[in-house]
Formats: sequence, C-alpha cells, structure tokens
Amino acid sequence: MPAAESGNGKPLPILVVGGGIAGLTCAIEAAEAGNRVVVVEKSPCLGGRVAGFHQYFPKLCPPPCGLEINFRRIRNNSLIAVHTLAELKDLCGKPGDYEAIIRFNPRYVTAQCTMCGECSRVCPSETPDPFDYGMSSARAIRLPHRFAYPAQYAIDREACMDGCHACADACRYGAVDLAQKPVLEKMRVASVVVATGWAPYDAARIDNLGFRRFSNVITNVMLERLAAADGPTGGRILRPSDGKVPRAVAFIQCAGSRDENHLPYCSGVCCTASLKHAAYIRSQYPDAKITMFYIDLRTPGELDHFAAKTVADTGIELIKGKVARVQEHPGSRDLLVTAEDVLRGRKITREYDLLVLAVGMVPQTADLPMGIRTDQFGFVTEAASGIHGAGCARFPADTAASVRDGTGMTLRAMQSVSAGRES
Amino acid sequence: MADPIILHPDTEFIRDVTRGGGADMKKCFQCATCSSTCGLSTENRPFPRKQIVEAQWGMTDRLIGDPAIWLCHNCGDCTTRCPRGAHPAETLSAIRCAVIRRLAFPRFMGGVFAIPESAVAMLAFSAILLLSIALLPAPSPGSSPLVFAQMFPKTRLEPFFFAVSGWVVLALTVGAVRFAGALRRGGAEGPILSNLVPALMEIVSHRRFAECGAQQGRRWGHLLVFSAFVGLAAMGTTVGIGSMLGLMDTPIPFLNPLKLFANLCALVLVTGAAVLVWNRLKDRQARAGAVFSDWFLLILIGGAGLTGLLSEALRLTQLRAAMFFIYYTHLTLVLTLFLGAPYSKFVHFLYRTMAMAATRQESSSSGWPITRRRQSPATS
Repeated sequence: MPAAESGNGKPLPILVVGGGIAGLTCAIEAAEAGNRVVVVEKSPCLGGRVAGFHQYFPKLCPPPCGLEINFRRIRNNSLIAVHTLAELKDLCGKPGDYEAIIRFNPRYVTAQCTMCGECSRVCPSETPDPFDYGMSSARAIRLPHRFAYPAQYAIDREACMDGCHACADACRYGAVDLAQKPVLEKMRVASVVVATGWAPYDAARIDNLGFRRFSNVITNVMLERLAAADGPTGGRILRPSDGKVPRAVAFIQCAGSRDENHLPYCSGVCCTASLKHAAYIRSQYPDAKITMFYIDLRTPGELDHFAAKTVADTGIELIKGKVARVQEHPGSRDLLVTAEDVLRGRKITREYDLLVLAVGMVPQTADLPMGIRTDQFGFVTEAASGIHGAGCARFPADTAASVRDGTGMTLRAMQSVSAGRES
Repeated sequence: MADPIILHPDTEFIRDVTRGGGADMKKCFQCATCSSTCGLSTENRPFPRKQIVEAQWGMTDRLIGDPAIWLCHNCGDCTTRCPRGAHPAETLSAIRCAVIRRLAFPRFMGGVFAIPESAVAMLAFSAILLLSIALLPAPSPGSSPLVFAQMFPKTRLEPFFFAVSGWVVLALTVGAVRFAGALRRGGAEGPILSNLVPALMEIVSHRRFAECGAQQGRRWGHLLVFSAFVGLAAMGTTVGIGSMLGLMDTPIPFLNPLKLFANLCALVLVTGAAVLVWNRLKDRQARAGAVFSDWFLLILIGGAGLTGLLSEALRLTQLRAAMFFIYYTHLTLVLTLFLGAPYSKFVHFLYRTMAMAATRQESSSSGWPITRRRQSPATS
C-alpha cells in the first residue's frame, strides 16, 4: 500500500529516539526480526547513562561488555541506521505512516578521524566533562568517552574559543571540518519508539542538603563515576575536597524523591543503587563505615536478595529517617548530618567525610515534539498510536527493566509497521 | 516477642485535630524530615514526626502528657520541608488545641474557641454580661467631664473583674495540675517548680524563636506582644487593687508615670499584634497554616489594645458620641480574653512554660559549636 511503503516498495522503518540501553535493545530486536530501524541519538555516541556506570546490580558486572555485544550486533546488521548528534524535532501523521523531521547536528569531525588525539592535545579550551558530571575537565574536541561508539571524535562547539581552529590545523587527516552546519531532514517512518532516557534530578535544588555548597556532598551518579576505572580518579573513591580516602560515608536516600517539592514519585532504583555503592566502598576500603538514611528500603523482587546480602555486611548501618539538615565544618570540610532515628525514637547528629545523595530519575522528554504525550511528571504515556515509550522515558527503571522494556516495545513498534502495511 | 500493644484510638481526638488544622496529617508517611529540620526538637524528644503518628492513631493519653508539643514554637520550617504536604506545624498546632480542650476546667468549656460559632457566642456572652452591669440598675445621669464610670460604675465593674479573674485563676490552676500529672505520667522528670525561673528567663529572651528559620518576624512580634502583656497585666492588677482599696482614683491623670507606662505597653501591644498579623498575611505558608483559633486570639488581643487606646483618646477629647461605645467594645474584648484564657491558644503561656521547665535538664541535640543556626553562614 502506498501510504505504508517508502518509494522503493519496502515497508517504512521504525524510528527509535535515543541510543541508550532501552533504545538500542529495541532497535536491535526489531532489526533482527527483519524490520528497518533508524536510531537517532542526541549525543555524539551511543550507550547513554549505562556507559558511565562502573557496575550493574545485582551481579556487579561492568557495563562495557553488555554494550560491546550490542554495538557488534548493530555493526553486523544492515537494517539499522544509527545517527548520532541527531534529534527528533517534529512529528506528524498516523500509526503506520508518520513524517518525522530530524535535525542532524554537526560533529565537525568526519569519518577520516583516526582517533590519534593530536587535536585534543592542541585544543586550548577546557570544559567540565559532562560524562564525569563535572568532576573532571575535557577539551572541546574529544572522544566523548573511552569506549564511545561510533569511535570518532566530536567538537563541543559551545566550549570553543571564538575563531579558534587549532584542531583543524593540527589534524593530519583533514578530518576536522569547522564549517559543518546543522541539517533538517524529513523522514517517513511507520512508528516511533521514544527512549530518551533520564537525567539525575538536579541536587542543587534540594537546598538543605548542601550539594554544590559543600564540596564533599556528591550524588549517586557522581559516585558511580568515581568508582569507574575510566573516571576522574581512575576508579578510586576519594572525597572531592582533598582527595582523601573516606572513612565514614553516609547515603541519603530519597534525596528529592517522593517529595512533592521536588520529584513526587519513587524512582525505584536508588535504594539498590546505594547498596551497590556501599559495596563499592566496602570493597575498596574494608575499614570504611557506611550509614544509609532511608524512608523505606525499596528493593523489589529479586533485588531483595542482593539487598539482604549487602546489608549482612556489618560495616553498613541502616537508619530509618530522612536527613533534612546538613552542616559543613569550615576547616575539615567534614559534614554533620542531622536525622531522627525513627526506630529508636532519638534525634542524632553524626559526622561523615563524604555524603552521597541518592537522587532520582527525571525523564528526558521536555524537548520532544508535541504529539508525544507525557504524564504530569514527563513520562511518556501509553497512547493508542504508533508512538511508544521505552525504558526510563516511560517509567523509572533499572538497566535490566529498561532492556526488558526495550524488547517489549519492539513488538508494539512492529505491530504499527504491519498495521500500516494492511491499511 | 514483646508484649502486644493494644491501641484504643480516640476517634474524637482524631476529629478534633482534623478539624482544628490537622486535616492533612494522614498524608504523613513518617519520613521524619520534620524532626530533622526542626531546630527545637531535641535528641531525646524528637518532634513532630512521632506526635503526628500518635495523632493519626488517636493516642490522646500520650499526647496530653507529651511536653514536646509545647516545645514547638510553630515556625513552620517543618511544613516548608514536608515532602507530602502533611503540614506538620499545623497538625501540631491542632494537637495543642485538642489537648487544651482536654485539660480544660470545666471540660465543656474546652472547645469554646475551636469553632467560630461558639467563639462569637462567647463574645456575645461577654457583651451581655457587661451590658447588664451598665444598665441594671440604671447608672447615675452624666455630669461633666464625662468619665467611663458613668456607664460602668466602679463599684460594680471592679468587683466583677476580680470575680472573673478569680474564676480564671481557678480554671488555670486546675488545668496546670492536670497537665503536671499528665507530664509525670508521660515521663517528663524535670522538677517543674524549681525550673520555673530559668524557664521564664529563657522565655524572656525569646531565644527559641531565633532557632526558627521560616518566619523570623514572628520572634519580634511575639516578643512585643508578650512584653506588653506582662506590663499591662502588672499595671491592671496594681491599679485595680489600688482603686478598690481607695488608694488610687481612676481615671489616672495622663502624665502619671503609671498611666504613661500603661500607654506605652498598649502601643507596644498593638504594634506587636500588627507585626504578627502582617507576618501571617505576607507569608502564604503562614496564612494557609493559621486556623480560626489563631486568628481569633490575635484579633482579640490586637482589638483590645486598639480599642483601649482609642477609648482613652476619646475620653480625653470628650467625644460623647463614640467614647462609651468604644469603651464598651474594649471591655467586651478584654472580658472575652479573660474568660477564654484557659480554653484558647492563650493558655500556651502556662503549658509551654511548664513543658520547658519539665524538660530543662534533658540534653539538647549536639553539634559543632560553630554550627548554631544564626552564627554560621555555612549551615543549611
């Protein structure tokens, strides 16, 4: 049928927005089932948040191996077209036949790039590295991270100095093209899977917990980078103010979550993530004392086994009671934490040298075109259409659940393709 | 296994708290953000988290004997931080009202200021009482210059107010004895009487108000009203006794030091009440949190001060048309304040003082000395 086929008689492709673990899974599953798939990813490389993790729970295995397998499946499948630095700007049409407007942002580095790194060495602009949540700095031209796919440099133009072309001059392969411009392109697709993922809640907005004001207050995603071998400290968990080994670490659960002043919902993963982080610290520093301040320890389903195993470690103390007061010692930069120990009915103040805020997940759907419906919190809602949410764009999820959801949404997307074919 | 605890929820108490400003208390999920935020809750007596769950369950006996509900100065920091909109500050305020009701003597008077209907009835009752003093039998015809005694003869008004005061003191005493008993049953060990002086010294400083973050203006407003009240109470008692014994004659001349001091107190009272009203109006949180009984007391106090000053001004200018009516209004407000003292929010002066005395020796929350709220800019 003309409405559901592209000019050459093939069925229209599935558009996957977002190249994180949910989007990748969905794209690969759909392609391996014989569908054409287009993946658009806003950043310069695939992998999303998962690429920055040190280890997955509950098995505590590293994410690169899972991602590498997915990248290989993409490379081996001619039905998948991946576009990094590409955004969905507009969408109209009906299930089975949508018209999508895609904006292709310039990378300023062509496929000639051999990753020799000469450009980075001469680049005069240093910018806080978003991959390390600002804990390290990076050059404006760089490989986004160690195992970025596609393995190609990119330029963060906003970090560039005006009129600078040091990198273009330094590149022996002529791979730097500073004249590139963004391009808008129309594309017909049968269905859309929105897998735009999540961002950590902005902890600076929780003004009573001292993030950004006190240097030794960090977030859970920052701790993940501190523990990662390719992170700012080479995998050693050190406190930011003085690079010392932390002896006493506190985790504040629900930092901004289940709170109508911030994120009213439970992200469902932070409790297990903090237990995992406690395990990181305990394995690096067997003498370190760890306290988790929680409202309810939520480790659903099979994660309960992981929780029980981790909590059995006597170095981890659980205190029911949310922290609302944090003070910093001006000299030592230690932190004084006040909470009510609810189960003992006493108010306590304790000193820690590192404080980790377990912040929740914010769905990244604000910049999506109209027509993609979201609920009051920004999560993509189920609509009787060819538009489907997957992974953390649809609900707060851990990696395993995102993978399952990506797989599930493959079927929904394929149904739209066949609906289009039959119309 | 420990012995089971059998709860007997007092549903009437739950209803009182719900109606008195604690309507959102059931939203509380016991995260204890409030107790952590509160600058006044102590190591041994964290509040208001525990008190909210006790109110949810209608555990009246525990709450009546809990000094913690009185240690709260209702700054609203906890409500600002509450992640559930459970309004802990307002709930605690409603708990205090419900407890006042249960300590009241006689008991049926307890709820008189809880709802507008009975509060207005109380005002009307005061007005009628005073009117009967003024009219029965008819006062002597007016002579020049006009004095208030022509409407309210001293020979009736003064014994009347002393009788009322006696009654109020009795009611307060019974309430205090009941509260002391409840405190003991609740486990507050501090010697109340011998701690009274240090507790009063602390009240004079209004130090605890300084711990509150959300509404700093309240400290000064309350301090003004409090000081003026102490001054006026002392003055009123002195002049009343003096007049009854024939040592003084009212109206006291304007330039008499006693009169000057009383006028100063009245001005301070009105200013303080205005500060408190202004604070409540400009702060959305405070406005939403204030329940009827809060407003009623404030209006009563401010109104009594204002009409008192106005009466004096009208008497000095001999404005016949208005002076008697304004004075009558003034007396009505003052009488309502008197009669209602043991049953309104007003009685916190007694129960809070006792609670502070009974918990004086208990350790307070520890911290670095440098981190007292007002002294360190690095504090959250």
